[in-house]
Amino acid sequence: MAVKIITDSLSDITGDLVGELGINVVPLYVRFGEEVYRDRIEMTTDEFYRRLVQDAALPSTTQPTPHDFLEIYQKLAKETDEILVITLSSKLSGTYQSALQAKNLLEGKCRVEIVDSQTVAMGLGLIVVSTVKAARAGAGLDKLVDFVQRAMARSHLICYFDTLKYLAKGGRIGKAQGFVGSVLSFKPILTIKDGVMSPITRVRSKAAGIDYLSNSAANFPNVEALAVEHCTTPDDAEALVERFSSFFPRERIYRSTISPVVGTYAGPGALAVSVLEAEKA
Amino acid sequence: MKQVNTIGGQDLREMFAAAAGWLEKSSSEIDALNVFPVPDGDTGTNMLLTMRSTIEEAYRAPDNSAAAVAQAMAKGALMGARGNSGVILSQILRGLAQSLAEKETFTAVELASALQQSAAMAYNGLSNPVEGTMLTVIKDVAAAAQAQVAGDGDDLIPVMEAVVDAASESVANTPNLLRVLREAGVVDAGGQGLYTILEGALRYLRGEMEQMRFRKPQIIVGDIHATKLPEMIAADEIPYGYCTEFLLKGEKIDTGKIKKKLEKKGESLIVVGDEAAVRIHIHTLDPGEVLAYTADLGTMHQVSIRNMDEQHQDYLEMQREKAPAVDTGIIVVVAGDGLTEVFTSLGASAVVPGGQTMNPSTKDLLQAVERVASDKIIMLPNNKNIVAAANQVQSLTEKTIEVVPTKTIPQGVAALLAFDYEANLETNTQLMQKAAAAVRSIEITRAVRATRLGGLEIKKKQPIGFLEGDLVAVGNSTTDVLDQVLARLDLEKAEVITVYCGADAETDEAEQVSGSIREKYPQLQIEVIQGGQPHYDYIVSVE
Repeated sequence: MAVKIITDSLSDITGDLVGELGINVVPLYVRFGEEVYRDRIEMTTDEFYRRLVQDAALPSTTQPTPHDFLEIYQKLAKETDEILVITLSSKLSGTYQSALQAKNLLEGKCRVEIVDSQTVAMGLGLIVVSTVKAARAGAGLDKLVDFVQRAMARSHLICYFDTLKYLAKGGRIGKAQGFVGSVLSFKPILTIKDGVMSPITRVRSKAAGIDYLSNSAANFPNVEALAVEHCTTPDDAEALVERFSSFFPRERIYRSTISPVVGTYAGPGALAVSVLEAEKA
Repeated sequence: MKQVNTIGGQDLREMFAAAAGWLEKSSSEIDALNVFPVPDGDTGTNMLLTMRSTIEEAYRAPDNSAAAVAQAMAKGALMGARGNSGVILSQILRGLAQSLAEKETFTAVELASALQQSAAMAYNGLSNPVEGTMLTVIKDVAAAAQAQVAGDGDDLIPVMEAVVDAASESVANTPNLLRVLREAGVVDAGGQGLYTILEGALRYLRGEMEQMRFRKPQIIVGDIHATKLPEMIAADEIPYGYCTEFLLKGEKIDTGKIKKKLEKKGESLIVVGDEAAVRIHIHTLDPGEVLAYTADLGTMHQVSIRNMDEQHQDYLEMQREKAPAVDTGIIVVVAGDGLTEVFTSLGASAVVPGGQTMNPSTKDLLQAVERVASDKIIMLPNNKNIVAAANQVQSLTEKTIEVVPTKTIPQGVAALLAFDYEANLETNTQLMQKAAAAVRSIEITRAVRATRLGGLEIKKKQPIGFLEGDLVAVGNSTTDVLDQVLARLDLEKAEVITVYCGADAETDEAEQVSGSIREKYPQLQIEVIQGGQPHYDYIVSVE
């Protein structure tokens, strides 16, 4: 029986890709005032960003409940006796904790292993994609846990935020705190390090930001997988794909949108590039 | 919708227990806000510990009337109060208990008057009340509750909603009332704590216990930004000896007399309580003297004496943890309040005042190098006459110094922006040099005398324009000169123009200058900043 793989909606794995990979994606929750939506299921990404900009109150986000995970564990336990859960960074959300609590509630002989990916967005998504391949090649649960841990070191996420407004208001910004409160306006370039948002540098315009993202991706010598994501500006993301196609097969570049949960902090206009380096032989 | 018309003792207790739980979730973030009265970073923890003691005692109330529970809570708060914020919180609860005396349950109207009493008691306990702290917040909260009940209805939920909204606004406004908060770019920590407690209570009333498990309180962000580095704030708020606090138990204790006696013995004095138990908090140079005096009045409990210098160190440590991990320090030379703020808010570790016509000495630069905690330093001289002095520093220190020879303010800003938090010293020096080279710098000043220079006939006091330090334009107005200089640049590829207005630039003229650029180059992003620099009326960067 093959290992079944679960991730959360912050992996930004959506639509057809979910089916192709044969994985389960557990949604987080987005809340506007009293209204609660399941990420990407009950509220589309476009609708979310429209409201993010228009609504006076900022939305908040919540992890899936242990029960959400338990339901999926129970469903999958009928088909397999090995489940691997790969969650977004436990320092950004309690999703990992919920997955863990659900594991303790699960009865029966199905084994569940949960890995905190220490990253988010397609930084997490590419780890999941790569792990699915390893699972299809026949790796068992223990081997896969080991595989994910090694893949984490190969995964790099680089983000461009078009505004600092949401970063400042949203909290949970880790080391990026130092970027808030500048007299001069600039656009931050951020990454995720040790599971929290971390500053890389600053640029003064979107064009300079796109240059930065494309140069950093091009600097990796050996790329296994590449992903480009946007919040509200697909044209900018396409411009990046265009540039990347000079060194990486265009059809293999994953395109996705940044989850509303991350978008709460990133704000409209953000872009993200994820690079999964190839394993050293 | 849920409606609550009265609250009894049991609900009162559960409400505060929920509030304590809610506070716990953000107490460490509240710690990090703490700059007043001393930047010791423990307000969140102190308030939480005070709340815990409050709740523990609440469960020991003799019956479930609102009066009994409120009384027990006030007692618990007084017994367990820690720090300034804890003591003020205990006063707030004491006011509540006084107002609810003999009440089985209380209504919206009674809650509003209890909050008035809380505010009065909070001010009462302090010998020197300061606005822009949790005192202001409780006062605003009480006023909002009063206004709400004067309006309509018996429902307590809208009253608490008005209370929480008022608290949120009041907290956001604290930096406008208290300079040290403004400079640190934070809201008052105690106020934030009080807001969180009230919000937790409201959520309980609304029946949101389940949601609270998976959510976190929000830290209120004022419309402000830090203008001083944490080190500068710590240095400004000179620590005052020992933070001394204890509980004095006895008979017929006279709080007024104690207050009067201790007033001259230190700062941030708080004396609160009743005849049987008094909580005392003071920042004093001589705790022995304080204790010797009170020892005669009764028995002392929970005596805590902490060296505030050490608390300071903890605070700085905490601020460092919050800031991006950098092992490279950046020292900049700059003049003018606005420009200093620009560099500081972009992460400069130290600022040496200086610029055109006021060059700092190598010794000034060396002192800054020694002051900065890092062993690796990048210096941005920002003026061609300071580069040489900066280059000399390396021979005088053990630290590793790299000078990025920025010759203008725009070059310095561009270099600092390009600093890469992930890169090493060598890479950063290269990145910053490259960024400095990519920016164009325009400086506009007035001729000090009539002269003829570079083929230009210049009259005294006429505006003159420099491009990369070379005199290239003279004209009758600043706008005219700036136009001439901009005309020499290829603006096709430019994206951002930043105008730094000097100390002597007139507001009308500054608006005219920026307006004319906006009009001529609508495709560009234009930013105008009050640089406050001497000598140059305008410094303009084109990127």
